[in-house]
Amino acid sequence: MNTTVAFILAAAALAGLAIAPLFLNAYGIGLLVGMTGYVVLASAWAMFSGPTRYVSLATVAFFGIGAYTVAVLSETLPYPLVLLCACAIGLTVALIVGLSTLRLAGIYFVIFTFGLAELIRQLVTWYEVNVTGTLGRYIFLPFEGIHIYWQLLALAAATLLLSWWINRSRLGLALRAVGDDEVVAAHAGINVSRAKLMLFALSATIITLVGAIQAPRWVYVEPAIVFNPTISFLTLIMALLGGATRLWGPALGAIPLFLLFEWLSANFPNYFSIILGVFFIGIVFFLPQGVLAKIEGLRRPARKAPPENKERSGAA
Amino acid sequence: MSSHLQITHLRKRFGGLVAVKDVSFDVADGEVVGLLGPNGSGKTTVLNMISGALLPTAGEITLRGVRISRLRPDRIARHGVARTFQLVRPLPSLTVAENVLVSLAFGRFKHWGPDARDLAEEKLAFVGLGGRGGENVANLTYIDQKRMELARALASEPALLLLDEWLAGLTPSELQIGIDLVRRLQSAGMSVLLVEHIMDAVRALCARCVVMNAGEIIAHGPTETVLKDPGVVAAYLGDGHA
Amino acid sequence: MLIDTLITGLVAGGTYALVAMGLTIQFGISRIMNLAHGDTIIAACFASFVLFSVFGLSPILALMIVVPVGYVLSDAVYRIIMRPLVARAPNAGALEVDSILVTFGLLFVIQGVLLVAFGGNYTGYAFLNTPVDLFGTIVAANRLLALLLALVFGITLIFVLSRTRWGMTLRAVSIAPENAPLVGIDINRAARTAFALGGALAATAGVVVSMYQTFTATIGVIFTMKALIVVILGGKGSLTGALIGGLLLGLVETFVAAYIDPGLTLAATYAIFLLLLILRPTGFFGQAG
Repeated sequence: MNTTVAFILAAAALAGLAIAPLFLNAYGIGLLVGMTGYVVLASAWAMFSGPTRYVSLATVAFFGIGAYTVAVLSETLPYPLVLLCACAIGLTVALIVGLSTLRLAGIYFVIFTFGLAELIRQLVTWYEVNVTGTLGRYIFLPFEGIHIYWQLLALAAATLLLSWWINRSRLGLALRAVGDDEVVAAHAGINVSRAKLMLFALSATIITLVGAIQAPRWVYVEPAIVFNPTISFLTLIMALLGGATRLWGPALGAIPLFLLFEWLSANFPNYFSIILGVFFIGIVFFLPQGVLAKIEGLRRPARKAPPENKERSGAA
Repeated sequence: MSSHLQITHLRKRFGGLVAVKDVSFDVADGEVVGLLGPNGSGKTTVLNMISGALLPTAGEITLRGVRISRLRPDRIARHGVARTFQLVRPLPSLTVAENVLVSLAFGRFKHWGPDARDLAEEKLAFVGLGGRGGENVANLTYIDQKRMELARALASEPALLLLDEWLAGLTPSELQIGIDLVRRLQSAGMSVLLVEHIMDAVRALCARCVVMNAGEIIAHGPTETVLKDPGVVAAYLGDGHA
Repeated sequence: MLIDTLITGLVAGGTYALVAMGLTIQFGISRIMNLAHGDTIIAACFASFVLFSVFGLSPILALMIVVPVGYVLSDAVYRIIMRPLVARAPNAGALEVDSILVTFGLLFVIQGVLLVAFGGNYTGYAFLNTPVDLFGTIVAANRLLALLLALVFGITLIFVLSRTRWGMTLRAVSIAPENAPLVGIDINRAARTAFALGGALAATAGVVVSMYQTFTATIGVIFTMKALIVVILGGKGSLTGALIGGLLLGLVETFVAAYIDPGLTLAATYAIFLLLLILRPTGFFGQAG
């Protein structure tokens, strides 16, 4: 019953968001595009990193793969096929990275993803300079901001729906168990590596799609633009601010932070990086579980604790 | 014909240290066997090899004729081996019922949906946690966490249950509850390998015992005989007492 | 050509070794994975640039100022930022994640300050840029000095940590943090000392780097990445591993650049990294776990 109401509300909100750009100017639509893009990025990031607690710093690697694939293929293939190709490439890279790093302790995964974007950027640059002889490409696709926005909005809805479904599925339970204690999870019968790999690949594919869909906004694309590490950083902050283990957490973190960063970069372009860093440190310090958990934590003491003798619960 | 659980010439080496040397024993269907020995004698290492947490250096482990040594822990779990841990390991971000659901969903029979919820409640009721599935595991007392861990192990409907000092750290009254629980499992026909230090519990539950010291089996047979064995007494109390 | 490449590789490798030693001390003993390590190095580069071009101070003398300052600042960073995280972390894994996140933020702060102060252009200064003939190859004297300094600092540090009581205390914390208090070691102080020492090494590396190469406010990340690879290569917490791993990385990079393609150096590094992760995740000199 509750679920039905929630779905009706979500559908109404989606419809409202879909017609919103009809009443906005180009700047407003631009904001909506950026905001929706980050809602998807943060939600997709949290889909994997939230339950498993593997911090991925590779967001922009996949985002860039998506954008660059569109730049390379948009002239030769029909648009849906281009998106499909982008997905396939993102998925392949995710599987290679995941297979080689997810078996190991989380720290190796973080370190590897930290440099992945730089590695792919250098490889693409090397390929362009040595094989195709060009660096930088133009994208001529007949899309306006509103078309990109609608695609992103659909992707956002699909991503949230998918997250919701995974949360309720066996896979979701498996991931939360893995995030808590891999040894216990494995001894309960969970194929730990496969569960992590599946989610990492899924999350990476969605991130690739965001890059692919947003690419036409740039018109001119080169590796340094689409592999900008700030994108990984922003995605991470947004998901953490909202709370990476909640369905709506990343989206709720993404919207205010995106607007804040837009305002900051317009008004304090020189100090942007410093403010960003300080902000980020603050979030790790004061909201380690995200805003949603903080709000719940503030509410919880009001509820009565179970009337059990608790004197030994500290023993575990 | 091979037994229910058959361990043959099992060996484990960590670098230069041989933790388990040539260990062989078996557990029959429906039998509760005690695995004893002083700290560091290699009991938990044996348990870890059965459950797949460690790979044996040599030797074989079969369950109902199927070789399970060298499989991944999740495969072994799905073959029907369930275990508890020396220090309780609840999954803290899951509720009590969800902890049990994990084993139901990924154990031998892969239950999911409303019937899995019912089964989880059933397992929790069996260990004495009926109606408390919605609670946060962090709020459980120590014995209740141990109960929950047992329920989680039982939820995979194992063919063999490994209890690693499951009764350790309980008060005398809790201990009696714990022994009764294992005894109920025993009468339900569960095969159990019990690593335990509490001799009263071993006497109450196991007809047969295996005693290890320094990685080797030093005694093996009916519990009362084994516990009187001078070698076993010496291993536990030091040679001066033998 | 071969000797030339070898020397260039050793110079780069010496720097990487120095950079990685700082990181491996911080990671091995303080349990802090410091993603802002490279940016600390770049900050030191700029500091010695200012000392050289404004005050006319030679980088050798600059070391005497920049290195202690690096120590004190890192000590302060540990007290203010890291200590609360260490105190609240329920286990080593949680601290690793928190430290990664918080130093990721620190990276942007340091980079932002450098950008505001110095802009985004390549900076550098000419110091000892005199050619020296070595085995028939012409090498700039500043490069040789950089290699020499890296080796002297590296070997001294290894010696100090392996032979002195103070070094033994730090190593004890690295190997068995849970047992160290039993023998009267103050873990908190050891962790802070190690973190500050790592900062001092980063400062040293920064001064050394600035002597022979140009730098920008944004290339710190590259140093961090290479240092991370060397740390994994050498094994967490192993100084000897970092020294050998650093030299090895420098050689591999330079040889790939010289004989295959300069655009593929990072790819080559990563290939090594991946292979190593798969074959020997504890590194060449690390202990398991």
